[in-house]
Amino acid sequence: MDMLGKYKTCVAARSTSSEILKSSQDGGIVTQMFIYALEEGIIDGAIVAGPGDEPWKPKPMVATTPEEILAARGTRYNISPNMAVIKESVRKYGLDKVGIVGTPCQMQALRKAQLYPVGMRYVTDKIALAMGIFCMENFSYQSMKQIVEDHCNVDLHSLKKTDIGKGKYWAYTNRGAVSQIPLKVTHKYEQPGCHVCLDYVANMGDISTGSVGSPDGWSTVFVRSTNGDNIWKKAVEAGVFEVKAIDSVKPGLDLVTKLATEKITKNQKELEHRAKMGVNKGLRNPYI
Amino acid sequence: MSKVVEISPTTRHEGHSKLVLKVNDEGIIERGDWISITPVRGLEKLCIGKTMHQAPKISSRVCGICPIAHTLAGIGAMEASIGCEIPQDAYLLRLILQCANKLHSIALHDILALPDMYIPGTETKINPFTAEEPVRTVAKRIQRLREIGQTIGEIAGGEPVHPSNPRVGGMYYNISPQAKQKLFDLAKEALPMAIAQMDFMNAVFKNFEKRETVTVGKTTVDMPKEFGYHNQGYMAVDSIFQSSSLDFDPKWDPNRWTDVTPWDWYMGECEVSLEDPDYPIGGTSKIGTKAWPQMQACTSIPLYDGQPVEVGPRARMVTFKNFDHKGAMGQNIAREMEYPDCLYTIIDALDALDCNGSVLADEIPQGDGSLGWNANEAPRGTDVHLAKVKDGRVQMYNLLVPTTWNFPTCSRALEGAPWQLAEVIVRAYDPCVSCATHMLVVDENKKIIAQKLVQ
Ligand SMILES: Cc1cc2nc3c(=O)[nH]c(=O)nc-3n(C[C@H](O)[C@H](O)[C@H](O)COP(=O)(O)OP(=O)(O)OC[C@H]3O[C@@H](n4cnc5c(N)ncnc54)[C@H](O)[C@@H]3O)c2cc1C
Ligand code: SF4
Repeated sequence: MDMLGKYKTCVAARSTSSEILKSSQDGGIVTQMFIYALEEGIIDGAIVAGPGDEPWKPKPMVATTPEEILAARGTRYNISPNMAVIKESVRKYGLDKVGIVGTPCQMQALRKAQLYPVGMRYVTDKIALAMGIFCMENFSYQSMKQIVEDHCNVDLHSLKKTDIGKGKYWAYTNRGAVSQIPLKVTHKYEQPGCHVCLDYVANMGDISTGSVGSPDGWSTVFVRSTNGDNIWKKAVEAGVFEVKAIDSVKPGLDLVTKLATEKITKNQKELEHRAKMGVNKGLRNPYI
Repeated sequence: MSKVVEISPTTRHEGHSKLVLKVNDEGIIERGDWISITPVRGLEKLCIGKTMHQAPKISSRVCGICPIAHTLAGIGAMEASIGCEIPQDAYLLRLILQCANKLHSIALHDILALPDMYIPGTETKINPFTAEEPVRTVAKRIQRLREIGQTIGEIAGGEPVHPSNPRVGGMYYNISPQAKQKLFDLAKEALPMAIAQMDFMNAVFKNFEKRETVTVGKTTVDMPKEFGYHNQGYMAVDSIFQSSSLDFDPKWDPNRWTDVTPWDWYMGECEVSLEDPDYPIGGTSKIGTKAWPQMQACTSIPLYDGQPVEVGPRARMVTFKNFDHKGAMGQNIAREMEYPDCLYTIIDALDALDCNGSVLADEIPQGDGSLGWNANEAPRGTDVHLAKVKDGRVQMYNLLVPTTWNFPTCSRALEGAPWQLAEVIVRAYDPCVSCATHMLVVDENKKIIAQKLVQ
């Protein structure tokens, strides 16, 4: 199986704007891309995971200004149903060229809607830029709360950033403290739906990005579709990104491939297991 | 000796209907019955006990051409029953939605009506699908007008077909300034196109009316002087939008409305004795076919002041603008004249719309079972929904839709025309037979005396 999906180029990159990098998760690729595309008229708005009603609870929103896009920076390790506002973006907001960021499953939902637009009238021809983000697994809000508050011992209100990396779950506070717990503690909190997911690096994005493979503060970027390629080239030419060849950075693509393979093999096994879950019957497999 | 000819099904209108026509030796209609044979879906019955929020979403599904009318009339009836006033900006969004739907509906009807017509000054009938000019430009203009109508409806109403934004108490959302600007640009683009389209269509309809003869299939018939005339009255509540029992001065009166069954109105059993295999396309019903309009009709017959009435664009024009062009072409011309109004109204409403305004009433009462009604001036005429809501649930729900009002009136208007042109008269009413079909019949005391449910 093809672990990294189809792509034209893969690089390590980061935004050249220190303002963006101040609170972006990694290289600020998503935020920079959307702000650039908005200013160039490539999109007229973007669906992002905006701030929600409770700390670190994302709320899908249609951002139509750079300020709104900036406010959505950073990874929230719990579910943000970004596809839920896709209709709103072209109705109430009247967008003609929609940008959207999402995990691999959300990119799949988007592409499926474009091919089979059930209840998606006048939506799918208006998708102008799909930014995929890598994703190993996700959590419910309750799970995240439990992990951060009980296991990491950090109040969600003081949390500045969370990150999953090097086998650990990291919580950084506004006042400079760092907690980390082994990832295996978090496994029981994962949302069960993630265990049948066979995509790590957002194979369906126009462009997909994540942290793995590149040094801290940098992102690994796959440029996949022709549309993504055109926009990426223009953005690089405009000088909004600093770019390095992926084989010039550590740990590079090998680690990405390794993690992708682990995710896919593990979840493939889970699918096989579910097929034989009952006595002479199994659970549904959405892939067949 | 009169003969009976039957056209079944009729075409180029929404839904499923047929014409049973008694004609004289010259083929002139002496008595015509135009009836719905669309299966009754029984929505009024099945809405009982459902929530006031759900029922209008169900009635929207009565028809996909004018779902706006049923959604807004349905919600309006619920609001009238519970006594809920909606905020101004919700009202404006509904008004924009209403006009956008009318814009698309008129344009759609242009496509259905054109194949009966001639390019003025020629013997060439208009085929909207031809790649040749001048028709190609007209067809493209129609498509763009429809597209604009649907896009405006989609943004103001959430969906152009079965709008999701309207709700009891107002709307789910207001629109962004960017969306408002988009609607404004679209309306501005459509306005000159709509005027050009109106002028073109009216030249075509007037040309048709002045013709000596008209050819249908292989037959050439004389054009009657009073084509599609009738002596029934007109009914309309507003030139554009609506009236409801919440109004200070309601423009419709439930006490003037009664229903009769098709049994009281239509012809009895008869047998087809005239047949024309060349009637386009596929011929008329075979000789010997049994027809029984009284039994087969799937609509009730609503009366206003004891008489069938005409509703629709002409009824609005007659009631509010002193329009006096009678007959089938008068009906068509009145419809075209509504094009610019739709767009002027959208533009004015957008000017007045405050994108930051609230669109939901602060309080939504749950209802005490009082009767409320809302009459929406749908593209095809007055669409009255009556409802009783108690504790948030529908106790009674009744729909009197435009084409139901028009069925008996149009049947009368067939008299005196050559039977080959009966469908042209029917189409002038822009019938929506799905809309018309869902039957409860009530007497003077509003007691249900007959109902026909899904078999
Ligand atoms: C649940 C989850 C799991 C992840 N797992 C991995 C992983 O295993 N390996 C890896 O390399 N990278 C992973 N990532 C991606 C990584 O954390 C960064 O999101 C990505 O590198 C983009 O960083 P950036 O600096 O370019 O983006 P930024 O400029 O910081 O923007 C991030 C964008 O992501 C959006 N976003 C934030 N949270 C969510 C969410 N929950 N759902 C949808 N969109 C959201 C924001 O609205 C923002 O627009 C994961 C992300 C999520 C949300
Ligand atoms: S693991 Fe898969 S299913 Fe779960 S959030 Fe990530 S992309 Fe979606």
